[in-house]
Amino acid sequence: MNLLMPQTQKLSELISDIDTTIKNRFGGKTFWIKAEITDVKKQPDKRWCFLKFIEKDGNTITTEMKGVFWANSYNYIEEFEEETQQKFVSGLEITCNVRVRFHKRFGMDLEVLEIDFAYAIGKLERERKQTLERLVNENPLIRLLDGYYSTPNNRAALPMVFQNIALITAPNSDGQRDFTNVIEQNKYGYAFAVTPFLTQVQGDNAPQLIMEQLRLVEASKTDFDVVVIVRGGGSDIDFKSFNDYELARQIALCEKPILTGIGHDRNTSIVDLMARQLKTPTEVAAFILDNNYGFENNLLRIKARILQLAEDTIDNAKDELKHYKQRVKNLNPTTILKKGFAIVYADDKIVVDPKSITTGTEIKMHLQQEIIISTVTKKAKNEKEYDL
Amino acid sequence: MKKNMTYNEAFNALEILVEEIETDEIQLDTLAEKVKQANELIKFCETKLRKIDGDIKKVTEGNK
Repeated sequence: MNLLMPQTQKLSELISDIDTTIKNRFGGKTFWIKAEITDVKKQPDKRWCFLKFIEKDGNTITTEMKGVFWANSYNYIEEFEEETQQKFVSGLEITCNVRVRFHKRFGMDLEVLEIDFAYAIGKLERERKQTLERLVNENPLIRLLDGYYSTPNNRAALPMVFQNIALITAPNSDGQRDFTNVIEQNKYGYAFAVTPFLTQVQGDNAPQLIMEQLRLVEASKTDFDVVVIVRGGGSDIDFKSFNDYELARQIALCEKPILTGIGHDRNTSIVDLMARQLKTPTEVAAFILDNNYGFENNLLRIKARILQLAEDTIDNAKDELKHYKQRVKNLNPTTILKKGFAIVYADDKIVVDPKSITTGTEIKMHLQQEIIISTVTKKAKNEKEYDL
Repeated sequence: MKKNMTYNEAFNALEILVEEIETDEIQLDTLAEKVKQANELIKFCETKLRKIDGDIKKVTEGNK
């Protein structure tokens, strides 16, 4: 048998050939691509990030390529998270500038040099707009009025005093601590019963888990005055859960008033728009305290008003009494006699009609000090000189 | 006065009392009674603000 041995070459020779070909075609060039990322492995301490770029046809991955961020472009990941308020994780679609690299041992990958945030932000805004439109279109009770979302939740009147509080938050979070501290150490000495309903508030399952806690609050035997949803930690950037359609809908239709403290000053989630937004956990606590303080102030105002009214009523009664006393005094015969008038008696009766008195009748005139007894010698008509 | 009155009920009752005291027809002999009622309502609210009803346990760690 004469076997013809195939002509071989060393692996390194072939790979070098590939390397040269790739360098000739892609060397020194960069390319903008738009692709979904997956298998994201961040190493913040080293400031590296490994990931895969993929393209799908339905659910089937049709194209896949390794990607990497080195320290010189790692800051783009941080900026991306900051700008878009979402974590740089698998499932995102990003637009980025890449360089094609080939290594004789590690193979081919795309080194990311830059991310285009505008694309990511634009996509987020479109999604947010779609969710809001869907909330209004599919739920007649959720209305958009002058740029403000009116929902059964934020339309419902707040109780005069908040005392029984259901707190939905992540266990041992800064949010839970901040809120509870301000509430419990309030300077007014107001009493509160805070019942925690703990759940994860970030990640893919978070919307479902928060919804479950909200259902528990509503089913609870305790008649909570208010539901507080807080999320703590200034560095938290994953806002996605709070833009979820189902969660936002449940919040909007919840009958218990909901106060949110889940964001920072510059972002408002869809959940915030459906409830009453107060930014931070501390601000929610302060709002609750202010509300109760306002109530107590009203009480004190009413108290003062009632005291004043009672005093006024008594003073008025006193004045009136004084007035009547004066009138009675004025009508008293003694008062009249003091003024020089006299009371005329005939036959021990006060003379009102002088017709019965004739010349010769004996009359008694009662003056203040003395009684004068006299006999009538003459009668004449009174010409009303003293018509008082 | 009801024992487990809500703040809203207490406050509404207070407002009615104030209105009654404000009107001129108020009888002097009912004034004392009205003021007493108002003071009781105010005291009730003030106490309730600083004391949680006995049946509500204060929970600080995980409930459900």
